[in-house]
Amino acid sequence: MPRIQLGTWVNGAVDWLTTHMGWLFDFCKTVFLGLYDGINAVLQAPEPLLLAGIFAVIAFWLRGTLAGVLTFAGFAFIVSLDLWENAMITLTLVLVATVIALVISIPVGIWAARSDRVSGLVRPVLDFMQTLPAMVYLIPAILFFGTGASAGIVATLIFALAPGVRMTELGIRQVDRELVEAADAFGTTPRNILLRVQLPLALPTVMAGVNQVIMLGLSMAAIAGMVGTDGLGGDVNQAIGQLNVGLGAEAGVGIVILAIYLDRMTSALGTQVSPLGRRAAARLRAAQGLKIWSYRPRPAVAVIGVVVLALVSGGMGVFGSAGTGSTAAAGGKDVGQGKKISIGYIPWDEGVASTFLWKEVLEQRGYQVEAKQLDAGPLYTSLAQGDVDFQTDGWLPTTHAQYWKKYGKQLDDLGAWYDKTSLELSVPAYMKDVDSLADLKGKASEFGGKITGIESSAGEMALLKSKVLKEYGLDKEYKVVDSSTPAMLAELKRAYAKKEPIVVTLWSPHWAYNDYKLKKLKDPKGAWGAGDGVHTLARKGFADDDPTVAGWLKKFKMSEKELTSLEAEINKAGKGNQQQAVRAWLKQHPGYVDKLAPVKGGGATPAEAKRPLDVAWFPWDEDIAVTYLWKNVLERRGYKLNLKQMDVGPVYTGLASGDLDLNFDAWLPYAQKNYWDKNKDRLKDLGTWYEPTSLEIAVPSYVKGVDSLADLKGKAGTFDGKIIGIEPGTGEMDLAKNKVLPGYGLDKEYEVVDGSTPAMLAELKRAYAKKEPIAVTLWSPHWAYSDYKLTKLKDPKKAFGEGNTIRTISNEKFPEEYPQLTKWIKNFKMSEDELGSLESEIKNRGQGHEEEAVAAWLKQHPDMVERMTPQ
Amino acid sequence: MSARLQAESLYKVFGRRPDQAVERLRAGAGREELRAEGATAAVIDASFTVEPGQIFVVMGLSGSGKSTLLRMLNGLLEPTAGHVRFDGQDLTTLGDRELRAVRSKKISMVFQHFALFPHRSVRENAAYGLEVQGVPRAERVRRADEALALCGLAGWEKSWPDELSGGMQQRVGLARALATDADLLLMDESFSALDPLIRRDMQDQLLELQQKLKKTIVFITHDLNEAMRLGDRIAVMRDGEIVQIGTAQDILLRPENDYVASFTQDVDRSRVLTTGELMDTSVTGDDPGCHCETATADTPFTELCAISARLSHPVSVVDADNKLIGVVPRQRLVGFLGDEQDTTPEPCDSPRDAGGEKVTARA
Repeated sequence: MPRIQLGTWVNGAVDWLTTHMGWLFDFCKTVFLGLYDGINAVLQAPEPLLLAGIFAVIAFWLRGTLAGVLTFAGFAFIVSLDLWENAMITLTLVLVATVIALVISIPVGIWAARSDRVSGLVRPVLDFMQTLPAMVYLIPAILFFGTGASAGIVATLIFALAPGVRMTELGIRQVDRELVEAADAFGTTPRNILLRVQLPLALPTVMAGVNQVIMLGLSMAAIAGMVGTDGLGGDVNQAIGQLNVGLGAEAGVGIVILAIYLDRMTSALGTQVSPLGRRAAARLRAAQGLKIWSYRPRPAVAVIGVVVLALVSGGMGVFGSAGTGSTAAAGGKDVGQGKKISIGYIPWDEGVASTFLWKEVLEQRGYQVEAKQLDAGPLYTSLAQGDVDFQTDGWLPTTHAQYWKKYGKQLDDLGAWYDKTSLELSVPAYMKDVDSLADLKGKASEFGGKITGIESSAGEMALLKSKVLKEYGLDKEYKVVDSSTPAMLAELKRAYAKKEPIVVTLWSPHWAYNDYKLKKLKDPKGAWGAGDGVHTLARKGFADDDPTVAGWLKKFKMSEKELTSLEAEINKAGKGNQQQAVRAWLKQHPGYVDKLAPVKGGGATPAEAKRPLDVAWFPWDEDIAVTYLWKNVLERRGYKLNLKQMDVGPVYTGLASGDLDLNFDAWLPYAQKNYWDKNKDRLKDLGTWYEPTSLEIAVPSYVKGVDSLADLKGKAGTFDGKIIGIEPGTGEMDLAKNKVLPGYGLDKEYEVVDGSTPAMLAELKRAYAKKEPIAVTLWSPHWAYSDYKLTKLKDPKKAFGEGNTIRTISNEKFPEEYPQLTKWIKNFKMSEDELGSLESEIKNRGQGHEEEAVAAWLKQHPDMVERMTPQ
Repeated sequence: MSARLQAESLYKVFGRRPDQAVERLRAGAGREELRAEGATAAVIDASFTVEPGQIFVVMGLSGSGKSTLLRMLNGLLEPTAGHVRFDGQDLTTLGDRELRAVRSKKISMVFQHFALFPHRSVRENAAYGLEVQGVPRAERVRRADEALALCGLAGWEKSWPDELSGGMQQRVGLARALATDADLLLMDESFSALDPLIRRDMQDQLLELQQKLKKTIVFITHDLNEAMRLGDRIAVMRDGEIVQIGTAQDILLRPENDYVASFTQDVDRSRVLTTGELMDTSVTGDDPGCHCETATADTPFTELCAISARLSHPVSVVDADNKLIGVVPRQRLVGFLGDEQDTTPEPCDSPRDAGGEKVTARA
């Protein structure tokens, strides 16, 4: 039987497709992503609970009261699990896949229903698509579409197409032949037979197909998570990867809720859209009579409900206020050592800005910071109870006087970081002749008699209504409109854009002064009272628990310009992106972090750290390990590293040309000799950090009596005549086959089995667990030596050649530009233990979690940072 | 009513190489022979003419090819050989588009299982043909409602097919066929699925409508009684061939062969026979001779029996001018019922019987 080279052909086809049909895949990708982004934007925009309300109204309409209530409960549950965003991503994914699947499958199903030949052709294709293991086409999907949503959509699509086609075909074929004949007998054209008779009658079956498409799409969600599609599938994957059963269950339940909802809605929709279904439902209702649990509103009512909720949520999206922030990657100078700090904040702009600024700064200093949004009252209570460590938005002595009076004894005032706040009425600068409150008099008609206010509960509003207006005799003329801060700002924005007259209640500091040209109306009579300072307040005892942070906070000061520009940046970035905004702002204000949180030795970031370093790395275990280790350590010292994965040749070329700064994995003097020789004039060797490296054959240490290669002789029976190799064609494999085995006379006895590094390691793991004899090709350094007890077989004949050392190389100018860093690197050494354990930590965390792995490893090796980068 | 339907030696063969099969049939090959070769001859050499305003019934057992024949008349099936001429057009030469136009305007059809569209209301069903023709909505509704009213369904326009009884559903089917004002109505076992009482109602209604509308109707049935009631002319089919075409009386009294005869055996002759068929024409004269009740040649059998019972002598049969054209002795009436024609009664050997006759007569 000759070997049929199917795999080769498939590889060829895939290669050909990637090179020649790229435009087609790009086009598909654009379409998929366009749809995906569009739908996702719509689903993510509104307040979760409002959208849940919209879903509930739809359920109410399609299925009745009970369904509506359950829907709301289900989605609220998702919200409370904090899975809303991901659930909407999954929903988007499923919707997009469904839409595309239907666009393809319904016409194909119709075609198949009308032609037996097409049906015969389509059926095996569908079987193929449905049964081919998803992993098989996921990988090509990545090749064609890259990771992320589009690959997930394609995988879902392939899986979900089949029921769509099948049910459409079945539905049409099921239509009574006599009806089709009747239509034909009245001279109906084939097209109209399809549109007026077959499709309407097939609709219930087609909708069952749609339902199946959606359900299968959801069931693929978890698998799609493997190709980097976010959403609940990603959560499930992540949870399973970390063996976090709880999180997995949460995400799983989220998927189930979505699935049940979509299933019930599409099947109800099936009844609603098909005339037959409507008839059946109407009869059923007539038979049952009116019951509250199955009561369904008329479509018009439902539509109104949905539109109202959509408008409300749309509105809230526009006026979106600040919310909780996301966690930032740990980095920077690790003063906090992962210590937890909790900051509370009032959703006022300066509170949000300063809180997230500190969150970022403290995280850069190694603290784990939690930012909680609270109302003023609860915030002071939490502070007093010690639930919150500090807050940065205490308006004292006036505005928060009542809270201070109540809780002041349980709080520490760390001082005002911003002076002087003020309350005021403001008008745009284009209002020429209005400069002070007194100027407002007699101009009521110009402003429509309105002062746009904020929340009626705010102290400022009370002050305005009860004191300020009276003081200037404006209370008869002007009406203060209660609304909300976001609404006031939106109103201001609108009026400002149209250059309409407007007067708003505002306060300083506020970003509005940064974004718009506004005039604070003068208050010569002092009706607003004296301004507050914005104080940082900490719980009692915080200063003792963490004198460093307390010290930083005490010295904290911000100018109006700094604060308003930060507020404006945050405001631009929108809800949920506060921390990114802070980062962006910090970039524009270099050195700010060190000003706020100076670390010991007065150690501001070395001047040389300003330019990011371009570090190239090879996807080899030791290089991944060392590169991420340096990244972590150097970021603590204020350096920034851009990591670029590249092949050996380009790295040497890049370093020589000065495009790259560093590579930590130069195997010299032998392995990379030819590259080094070619470019050595323009490269600098920063020294060996690991030695010696070696290539070897290793056996588990429980295999007694085998210590050197020569010992293998005559033991082929024990090892089944096999040495488990790695990727054929690698230098080590060639050496093993051509030099080592013949050199020790093993070539007759043993065969070096081609495979891959992961396969070799898996084989080793399996054999090791069973304590079976095994011989593998390995090299040092390797994490396998730290995970397993292995014996490196001695090579007295030096058949594997001399060992290399692993060195750091840089471009020519690097040592001059980075003297400090060069010194650190030159002194850097790692032991086999250290490297092995780091590699194995990284391997255990899995790809994409390198940084976490390094952080975790560093915690176990607390002296490492100091050793690598002494200050 | 200019429309006139003519079928000229129609053949329909399903299966492999139909054209060759037709040649072989023409050369005298049998149906069984062809079946062995994988071809099924459904209709073999069917020719007939339907005059305007006539109801032409095609009768036969299931599998005799009558439905296939019907579907060739409006082009739902294309004849393998032969021609269908209707209203001056040879339908077999028309393309799909023209054929559809003919079907939508000139020929409509009523189906055995009603074939009402379940997703359309009664009115929408009745208006279906008009919708296909592209008649504007208002007119469509008006004509559909008229047709429904004609079929006795006024007031049911907004109902749904599944809310109606079988008979009413078929009336909708009929209304749908009538609404298009087609000249030719093809009815495929249209009343077979209805229970007997309703079937009679529908037959009566069809006859009533036909008196008003004078359509040309081709009616398929397997029920001889129905054929006899409805058909101006009847074609009997067997195994794809038409074995006899004639009036109900022709079929009943002068069957072409044993098959037709066996078919008509169980028929209730009294419903079909008229006086003309059974009178003794040997007795004629200028007048009936007495002033007793008389019959005409068209008097149905049952009525004749009633007259005979009221008279003491044979019933005289007169024509329009009151001339005696024959007589019907009571003996003959009884004989026809018992399928014993033209026999003279044998004398009785027991005198008691004679007394018994007297008693009966007195009673």
